[in-house]
Amino acid sequence: MKDNHILDLLDYAPLANLSESDLRTIRVHVETCAECNRAFEAAQVSALLVKERADEAAENSATANPFFQTRVLAAWREQQAGNRVPAFRRLWNATGALVASMAATTAALAVLTFMAPSSDTLNQQTVALVPYSAETVVLDQDQVDNQMTDDQVLSAIYVDEDEGK
Amino acid sequence: MAYRFFRERSLAEEAAQETFLKAFAQLKSFEGRGSMEGWLTRIATNTCLNILRAARRRPELVTADLSEDESDWLEKKASEAPGEQRPDVEQQVIAADLAERLLQTLPPEDRLALTMIDGEGASVNEVAQLTGWSESKVKVRAFRARKKAREALERLLGGTGK
Repeated sequence: MKDNHILDLLDYAPLANLSESDLRTIRVHVETCAECNRAFEAAQVSALLVKERADEAAENSATANPFFQTRVLAAWREQQAGNRVPAFRRLWNATGALVASMAATTAALAVLTFMAPSSDTLNQQTVALVPYSAETVVLDQDQVDNQMTDDQVLSAIYVDEDEGK
Repeated sequence: MAYRFFRERSLAEEAAQETFLKAFAQLKSFEGRGSMEGWLTRIATNTCLNILRAARRRPELVTADLSEDESDWLEKKASEAPGEQRPDVEQQVIAADLAERLLQTLPPEDRLALTMIDGEGASVNEVAQLTGWSESKVKVRAFRARKKAREALERLLGGTGK
């Protein structure tokens, strides 16, 4: 069974910082305890891995990107330029396309409403311009030819009455 | 500083850039009481921690996640006596890969405490000053990180046939 005292020793401080007496206590114990031995081995591997990772980080920072400074300065200038633009301009940049398309649609609708004739007016104008009724068109009657003058109408009426007498 | 947190160069540079941008923007708030380096390092630490917090943490590392090289490395290291390691670039890369994957399973704060104290040999007090945490918090974070890392490796070593 694992000894919590040994495990606490392993986890309390880095292995490299353990005192000689602590290390001796651990070594003596793990000789007779397989589970604590496995924990000790794992702690050693863990310490080694963390050290390797730290060494690699130190190596990487030594070979930093030479263009890093340029990149940071460019980002800073961009950020500053963004901050200098007035709030309305920033709003316009964000929503300009949408607002412009909405304005164009509204203007187009207004033009269509006020400038173009409505369908009723168009019908009236069409009726006024074309002297044919629907019947004349359907019956194909030549209205101009059949048009009677007032005199002809009166004489026709009176002739009919006279004949009736 | 950023390389402590991020193994990938682009991520480390992104964190460093954000750090400098924050520092430029808050330059007026630097009162000159401490060193400029310390002030910058603290901004960098907070920036990196925030980036790590926003990223999804990896679930527990299991044997099936290990590559063949990593399994071999673990088996070899577990059977090797301490101090027997020979410098080998390929082995170092495998170890750094495995370490990164192991660290990614830890909470960012635990990871920071472990890498600084165990990896770089920083004192509890130095980490406390860098992060603004209390010393007892640093100790607890480091203890928890060591325990988690050790337990994960115990499972992995058990799974690799050791």
